[in-house]
Amino acid sequence: MYKYDSIDATLVAERSAQFREQVGARLNGELTEDQFKPLRLQNGVYLQLHAYMLRVAIPYGVLNGAQMRKLAHVARTYDKGYGHFTTRQNIQYNWPSLVDVPDILDDLASVEMHAIQTSGNCIRNTTTDPFAGATADEVADPRPWCELIRQWSTFHPEFSFLPRKFKIAVTGSAADRAAIGVHDIGIQLVRNDAGELGFKVFAGGGQGRTPMIAAMVADFVAKRDLLAYLTAILRIYNLAGRRDNLYKARIKILVNDLGADEFTRQVEEEFLRLKDGALSLPQEEIDRVEAFFTSAPADERPATAHPSSNFSRWRLWNVKPHKVPGRAIVIISLKPHGGTTGDASAAQMDVVADLAEQFSLDEVRVTKEQNLVLPHVAQADLAEVYTALEGAGLATANAGLASDIVCCPGLDYCNLANARSIPISQEISRAIERSGLEEAAGELTIKISGCINACGHHHVANIGLLGVDKKGVEFYQLTLGGVADGDAAIGKILGRGLGASEAVQAVITVIRTYLDARLGDEPFVQTLTRIGLEPFKEAIYA
Amino acid sequence: MRNDASFALAEDIANGANDNLAIEIDGAAPFAEVERMAKGVDQIAIRFEKFGDGRGFSLASMLRERGFTGELKAVGDLLPDQVGLLRRAGFDQIASEVKPQSPRWKHGYFSHAYQPAAQGEEPAYRARTLAARQARVDELNQRYADASPDQIIAAAVREFRGRIATLSSFGTEAAVGLSILARVAPETPVLFLDTKQHFPQTLSYRDQLIEKLGLKNVVSLQPEADELVKEDDEARLFETDTSACCQLRKVRPMAKAMVAYDALITGRKRYHGGERTDLRPFEFDGERIKVNPLAALRPQEVTAIFRTLDLPQHPMAAMGYPSIGCWPCTAPADGAGTREGRWAGQDRTECGIFDPSLVERAARTRSYRLI
Amino acid sequence: MKAITANRLTDGRVVYRCRNGAWTEALGEAIVFEDEAEGQVTLAEAAFDHLTVVDPYFIDVDDASPAGHKAVREGIRNGGPSAGSLHTGLLRTNLAEG
Repeated sequence: MYKYDSIDATLVAERSAQFREQVGARLNGELTEDQFKPLRLQNGVYLQLHAYMLRVAIPYGVLNGAQMRKLAHVARTYDKGYGHFTTRQNIQYNWPSLVDVPDILDDLASVEMHAIQTSGNCIRNTTTDPFAGATADEVADPRPWCELIRQWSTFHPEFSFLPRKFKIAVTGSAADRAAIGVHDIGIQLVRNDAGELGFKVFAGGGQGRTPMIAAMVADFVAKRDLLAYLTAILRIYNLAGRRDNLYKARIKILVNDLGADEFTRQVEEEFLRLKDGALSLPQEEIDRVEAFFTSAPADERPATAHPSSNFSRWRLWNVKPHKVPGRAIVIISLKPHGGTTGDASAAQMDVVADLAEQFSLDEVRVTKEQNLVLPHVAQADLAEVYTALEGAGLATANAGLASDIVCCPGLDYCNLANARSIPISQEISRAIERSGLEEAAGELTIKISGCINACGHHHVANIGLLGVDKKGVEFYQLTLGGVADGDAAIGKILGRGLGASEAVQAVITVIRTYLDARLGDEPFVQTLTRIGLEPFKEAIYA
Repeated sequence: MRNDASFALAEDIANGANDNLAIEIDGAAPFAEVERMAKGVDQIAIRFEKFGDGRGFSLASMLRERGFTGELKAVGDLLPDQVGLLRRAGFDQIASEVKPQSPRWKHGYFSHAYQPAAQGEEPAYRARTLAARQARVDELNQRYADASPDQIIAAAVREFRGRIATLSSFGTEAAVGLSILARVAPETPVLFLDTKQHFPQTLSYRDQLIEKLGLKNVVSLQPEADELVKEDDEARLFETDTSACCQLRKVRPMAKAMVAYDALITGRKRYHGGERTDLRPFEFDGERIKVNPLAALRPQEVTAIFRTLDLPQHPMAAMGYPSIGCWPCTAPADGAGTREGRWAGQDRTECGIFDPSLVERAARTRSYRLI
Repeated sequence: MKAITANRLTDGRVVYRCRNGAWTEALGEAIVFEDEAEGQVTLAEAAFDHLTVVDPYFIDVDDASPAGHKAVREGIRNGGPSAGSLHTGLLRTNLAEG
């Protein structure tokens, strides 16, 4: 993975020093809260319901053992002993003190980590496929491009005060495990007829209040032109994005208002002016960054067995094929039945750090499903890895299954929430386990958001739940048929909101209805397309 | 398609049209309007209604990119924490209306930058790339210190695969380098600066060599038609300003083409004298890598190669022209195998295409031309 | 009835305005008003306390407990998250860590 040179390290250290000074200025009144707020947001510091929340960046979801161990250290030293992995491949701490954050940032800087631009009206963490560099279905590894985008977007003089937040996702594979269709900019690595690597660029996707799928703006941007192209898009957005209405300020509204054709025309015009100038990426820099991202050597040793009956289930669902012979991609589920999705204790993080170093070429990834991935485990080591995970409560065999729920922090933590999401996700998870239907149903995505901001990505779930507040009582609205990866699709609303226990029951009913109607082993979305919403509505509301 | 209604600012000021004209514009103004208002103006103040409204940063950046050289001032609601960003976006002055006396107004927290900017630090990738190029050149010079022209060309083509070209004037000595290239690395593009002011003999010699050597990839670089009309309509610029004429016909077309290449093979030799006496096989000029495979060649060896390979001579070599460029600035001279006769009577020996600062400035101006 | 709440600047913790102008984490110790009109002056004073707290506002209370439409939300602010790692024993059963 990428290693900082002195420029990267200096910038992170200087940022940390800057924030320390800014905290001091807030504490002594030099800065008002209104002035301080955007500054602290650009360092990932939120003020939530009952504490500050710190969102630490995990650039494109990639970590090494030392970094994971440092995250554990932060959880133990400054927080309540746990952290929460997010739907944008970052980690959040729910209880840091503002006065401790400068020290936390210094601690993070010592392992090349930071909390830069994880919030605020700026370009956020660029996310990608958690299987990057390990999967056979990628055209090329997206991670070097994520790193180049990360650097280009950090402390950008022009784009640090955008109309609203800006999220970029990159996929190296057409399978798109990065959900580029619902990002402000989505980038897909492709090859042209001459075999040259380039980018298909999409813009204007997003979830939230007005979910939209991104439109294609360029079918091939050459490698050296990537930054110039992104600059053109950001510049159009910075100048024309709405600043009068918070709910209409994302680029998706601009693309929708202008129409994709006009938007594209404006971008192309600006791009032509910028092309071949100072924004051209030198081949040396591309080479330099690409060299950090290697794959794994083959492993010849034979696979080993494991006595536990759960092992074969775990092997079936949580282990994915690797492009290199003798290796495998391991998904560590952070969704124990009845647990809090995406949470890991400091001790668990330490276990994962050890496993990464010992068994995964010192690499671990965070997924937008709020799980972790060990990308390069040798087949021969699977049994040993499983044993260690089981001992730490990290071996739930449900990756991609119904109880692999994605859930935002919700009203238990978040200022913006209308309803709690964690308790209902726990109930749903337990209900699914009790029902015994999980393995029969196979891959099925359930995602829950506590408010319309959709941080739980409920719009793109097969079964989505949106928490709403009706006169102080929490209700949940179901949507069906969303898809995050590949051909992204927004789910359709099923009917009126349901109370918590009704909603839990409804989810089980949806799964039963699907299983009853399913032909062969067709996936949920296919059944839904075939039979429509009616059977589900009837089963739930009749 | 570029519309070249150029930004008239610099000329107006030069003509003394406006004395210290200053305007203030709202950060919310559309850029087209800002552009229009900025014509002939010395100072533009851009107002930030709220420090979180970042449009002013784009307005400033775009004005700078499109050639505005006047003063840019940021006014209104600003935070000291924005100083570094404002500076890099192109502002010269900041006049905050919020706590202007605060001690926090110190300049810039960051000693590096990741992006190109109107002013301030160069992007990190530039420093890294230039350092990498210098290191590469040092290493190559060590390895190929005493190599033959063939070996140097072969090594260069291997090292910079796909990003290397050669430049040829198809002048008196051109055939030497071209014959080696045709043998060792025939797919390498041969860039020819067709200035529109070549001797007809040069053009026919070019065609003759292309055929004789079987050159497959000769690329003709020409000045932009609209620039020719604007800057040298009557093709007489050489009479008043040969530097400007070289800029138009050689330096700028060269800059545009060089975007696609990291390395350039030249025909330069030490015995040409002047700046060339210490030429090494590989050279880093601060921007790109130049490969000089013929650096160590002596005049006798040049003659020998012509003879052995039965290469045709440039028709004017025998007429007393040791070095041949464009016809207005090339005179016959004594001193065979030298650059005597080039810009005779002027204080110049080089046109500027090998001067990286001229080339880079031309590249940047070209790309950021105001539309 | 109304009380005034805010978040403490230094650590973000939930606090309530007391009779003597101090801030307490215990809702039971908070000063309570009949309605917002009665508490306006105190709220204004609280707003001046910008070096101690952030964004003070009124909440509905009934017998030292959050009440009204925001009861769930203010209950969580008062008592901590209703769910999550702190309240789910599952994640801790296999580990020595407390």
